[in-house]
Amino acid sequence: MEFVSPEGLRLDGRRPMEMRQIRAEIGAVSSADGSAVFEMGNTKVIAAVYGPREVQNRGQQLNDQALVRCEYSMANFSVGDRARRPKGDRRSIEISLVIRQTMEACILTHLMPRSQIDIFVQVLQADGGTRSACINAATLALADAGIPMRDLVTSCSAGYLNSTPLLDLNYVEDSAGGPDVTVGILPKLDKVTLLQMDAKLPKETFEDVMELAIQGCKAVAQYIREVSTQNFIFLASVSQLSVIRNLSMLHISYLLAQTNEWSI
Amino acid sequence: MSSTSKSTFIDELVVPGDVILDLEKLESETIKLGDGLRQDCDVITVTKAGRLRFLKPNKYWVESSHKRYVPCVGDTVLGIVVDSKADNFLVNIKAPVLALLPVLAFEGGTRRNIPKYEMGTLLYLRVVKANNNMNPELSCMDASGKAAEFGPLKDGCMFETSTGLARMLLSSPTCPVLEALGKKLSFEIAIGLNGRVWVNAPSPAAVILVSNAIVSSETLTGVQQKIMVDKLMQRLQ
Repeated sequence: MEFVSPEGLRLDGRRPMEMRQIRAEIGAVSSADGSAVFEMGNTKVIAAVYGPREVQNRGQQLNDQALVRCEYSMANFSVGDRARRPKGDRRSIEISLVIRQTMEACILTHLMPRSQIDIFVQVLQADGGTRSACINAATLALADAGIPMRDLVTSCSAGYLNSTPLLDLNYVEDSAGGPDVTVGILPKLDKVTLLQMDAKLPKETFEDVMELAIQGCKAVAQYIREVSTQNFIFLASVSQLSVIRNLSMLHISYLLAQTNEWSI
Repeated sequence: MSSTSKSTFIDELVVPGDVILDLEKLESETIKLGDGLRQDCDVITVTKAGRLRFLKPNKYWVESSHKRYVPCVGDTVLGIVVDSKADNFLVNIKAPVLALLPVLAFEGGTRRNIPKYEMGTLLYLRVVKANNNMNPELSCMDASGKAAEFGPLKDGCMFETSTGLARMLLSSPTCPVLEALGKKLSFEIAIGLNGRVWVNAPSPAAVILVSNAIVSSETLTGVQQKIMVDKLMQRLQ
């Protein structure tokens, strides 16, 4: 099958090095401590973060760092064929693990020992690249929850079809059976936290494909940065604060609360 | 080179990973880091999204608003009793771990008169110990051992907001929403820095009005807050 036309256009009209349109929104789940929706083209993912809170299962408690848990699931309506997916199938367990490890690499877990952070990601619409979209959504949700992190992890995938490296594969390209390289990076620190590939690739080609994926990650990083600063609801009057009574090395609190009474 | 000692990010929005200061460029001076910043080798990086603040001469921190609370000594908080043990009450203050309230941490507290708090009791408390390796410790006394205003909050209504809103409500000068409400209504309010707010007033309608006004004031400016309160008051009459 022809995935790149002679004019150099892909099936959905993109150029090989073009990403799908991305859109993100912070604060989609009001009951969660942090949440976000992330879209890459037709792929749409929602993430909710709870915590740091008490460890639910005492046996899992870690005394030197926070316990990070992640649950990935796909909504039944997210794919074309409405097949029943058991909750704990191998694929979702594997992706849960991948997301957990990627997020754990950037969360400063040692700052919150004996607590637990839950990350729930659900795919609302699947069109390839759900893994990357989930990681990007989880990053935004963690930033919204105010969990201390080294950097904002971002992820993007790239593939190699018709002897052309392609950025951000969609479902049709993904299921073509070619190699699919998913990369997760810490953009500011320039470190790779996730690298997955499903097929074989010659070394030189792999480097090109990975470089393309990293470029994609950086583009996502720029967007995520914009979103998390834009959506940062800020209190107008806090900037006018004049009294700061308590300033410790670790935390700063503004004013000692008093039970005040206002009357006419 | 005097300008290098100050970060160029001050009062800007920052996100995790941003490098705000390079220690190598500093001329052997001390800086103090607050919430949301950490030292990574020779640079100071951000760990939380928010606005970078600077206080002369050398204090930096990231100001942000969240739904969770990080305990800090001296903060006053609203806690909910979760469990009672022989020596401590376990209290939920929205922190990463449950906080301990020693049964003797009350004015004139002795073994003989231990207060009886049932699960779910709302308390106005002060944080006396907070560090990473222990559960935070609370007290129902002020620093001089007086009960002050601390203790159980009866009646009224409690709702949860963000830590940023709680700080705004406690700011000085009094924040516009409370000032506007206070001119027209009489009510009691207790604000915890952990983002819990308790309101009590003679009539339920007033409690609801005050709660709604506070919740919706989070994203409004001072003038907008006053207009919003005026509109709500019209509805009450």
